[in-house]
Amino acid sequence: MSEVIVITSGKGGVGKTTTTANVGTGLAKLDKKVVMIDTDIGLRNLDVVMGLENRIVYNLVDVIDGNCRIKQALIKDKRYPNLYLLPSAQTKDKTSVSPEQMKKLCDDLRGEFDYILMDCPAGIEQGFHNAIAGADHALVITTPEVSAVRDADRIIGLLESHEMKQTHLIVNRLRTDMVKRGDMMSSDDVVEILAIDLIGIVPDDENIVISTNQGEPLVGNDTMAGKAYMNICHRLLGEEVPYLDLNSKKGILNKLFGKK
Amino acid sequence: MDNSVIIKGNNHGITVILDSKMEYSKLKDRVAQKFKDSSKFLGAAPVVLGFEGRPLLPEQEKELLDIITESCDLRVVCLVDTNEARDKQYEKTLNERLMELAGASGTFYKGNLRSGQAVTFETSVVILGDVNPGASVTSTGNVIVLGALKGQVFAGAGGNEKAFVFAIDMAPVMIRIAGYLARSCDKTDKEEMKKMQIAFLENGQVCLESLNKRVWNDITL
Repeated sequence: MSEVIVITSGKGGVGKTTTTANVGTGLAKLDKKVVMIDTDIGLRNLDVVMGLENRIVYNLVDVIDGNCRIKQALIKDKRYPNLYLLPSAQTKDKTSVSPEQMKKLCDDLRGEFDYILMDCPAGIEQGFHNAIAGADHALVITTPEVSAVRDADRIIGLLESHEMKQTHLIVNRLRTDMVKRGDMMSSDDVVEILAIDLIGIVPDDENIVISTNQGEPLVGNDTMAGKAYMNICHRLLGEEVPYLDLNSKKGILNKLFGKK
Repeated sequence: MDNSVIIKGNNHGITVILDSKMEYSKLKDRVAQKFKDSSKFLGAAPVVLGFEGRPLLPEQEKELLDIITESCDLRVVCLVDTNEARDKQYEKTLNERLMELAGASGTFYKGNLRSGQAVTFETSVVILGDVNPGASVTSTGNVIVLGALKGQVFAGAGGNEKAFVFAIDMAPVMIRIAGYLARSCDKTDKEEMKKMQIAFLENGQVCLESLNKRVWNDITL
C-alpha cells in the first residue's frame, strides 16, 4: 500500500521544503521506502536542503520527457538506504509538465515505494495543479500568521474542489512565548479557522536554519523541531502520539547549570 | 395580393400583422379567411400568439383569438402583449413576486466556504458551516449562517430591502443588503466579534443587533 502525499501551503516561505525533507527522512528512518519529488520546477531547493545538489544528473523534466529512465534520475541518499530524491529542473518552468504526466509518474512509482512525497511550489497556478494531481493525501503547512492562514484556507478550498481524499494541517514556526503574551495565534486558533485535522505542531527553532544550511535534516534528533517532525512521521503511520509540551523550554537557571 | 393580414412565424410562435386602416369588422373576416386557408400549413402545434400593426381593444383581441382557434387547429397557449405600458407593469409585478418568493423560500448549503470561494443563490440560504475571510455569499433573499461569518455577504441582491443576515458568530468583513453597504471596524475586539447577531436595514443603514423580541417583530419575509 503506497501513499502519495503532497506538502503544500499556498504562501511561500512557511516551510514546505523543510517539512518535505524532514518528513521524508523521518519516514525513511522508520524503515519505510520513500521518494521525495521536488515539483518546484525552475526554483529547485529540496536537493540543497537534503545536501544532494552535487549529485544531480537527470531531473524530473528529463523523466517526463523520456530523456532517461526513472531509475537513472532517482538520487539515492547514502545516509539512509530507503531514501530517494527526484530533483526538479532548474532551467525549465512549470509549464514543462502537465498534471496528467505527474499523475502517471506517481502511479509508476507506487509499485516501488511506500511513500511518495511531493514538494509543492508556492502559489495556486500550474505548479500547484501538477503537484496535487496524483496525490492521495495533502499536508497543508501554515505558520500562525494571518496571511499564511488565509492562503492555507484558499488551498484547502482548492484541495476540496479537487476531491483530495485526506487533508491534514501542520502548524509550523510556533512560538509559545508569543502565544502566551497574546501576540501570536495559538495552534487552536489556527485549527478553529481552518477546520481540518491537525497532524503536527512544529516550534520555531533556530536549529532548523543550521540543519538546512548543512544539508542534513534534523528529524529524530534531540532538538524540539526534530522531535516534532518525528512525531508527525509516527502519526502518518497511524500511531497515536501526544503533542509535545512546547513550554518545557530550558529556564535560565537550568541553562546556567547545564541541566536538562 | 391582399396584405391586410400577414402571418409571421418564429421559433416559438406567430405574429399576426394587421392592416392599420381597414375597418375592424372587415378585418375580422380576413383573419378568419387567412387562418382557414393556412390551417393545413400551420398544423396543431402549441404556439404563442401576438398581434401587431394596430391597437386593439381587449374585447377585440379576445374576439380575434376565438376566430383564430375556430379557423385552424393551432393551440394558442398564450397571447403576447405589445402594449408597452402594460408590459412594464407585468415585468414589475413579476420581479416583485420573484423577490418575495426569494425571501420566503430557501436553500441549504453544507460545508465551509473558504477564501476564494463565491456562491450565489436565487433564494434565501442557510449555510451549515463557516464563511471564512475571502469568501463571499450572495443571495436575492436572506442569508443565515449557522457558524462563523467572517467573509463578505450580500443579501437582497435583487434590491429587496427587507432582507436580513444572521450568523452565530457575526464577524463579517463587509455586509451588503440591497443597495446599502457596511464594512467592519478597522480595529476589532476579538471577543466582541463572537456574537450571535442579525443585520438588517433601518432608515437606510445596515444595523447589527443581537436577537430579541423587537427584532423578530420587525422582520417580514
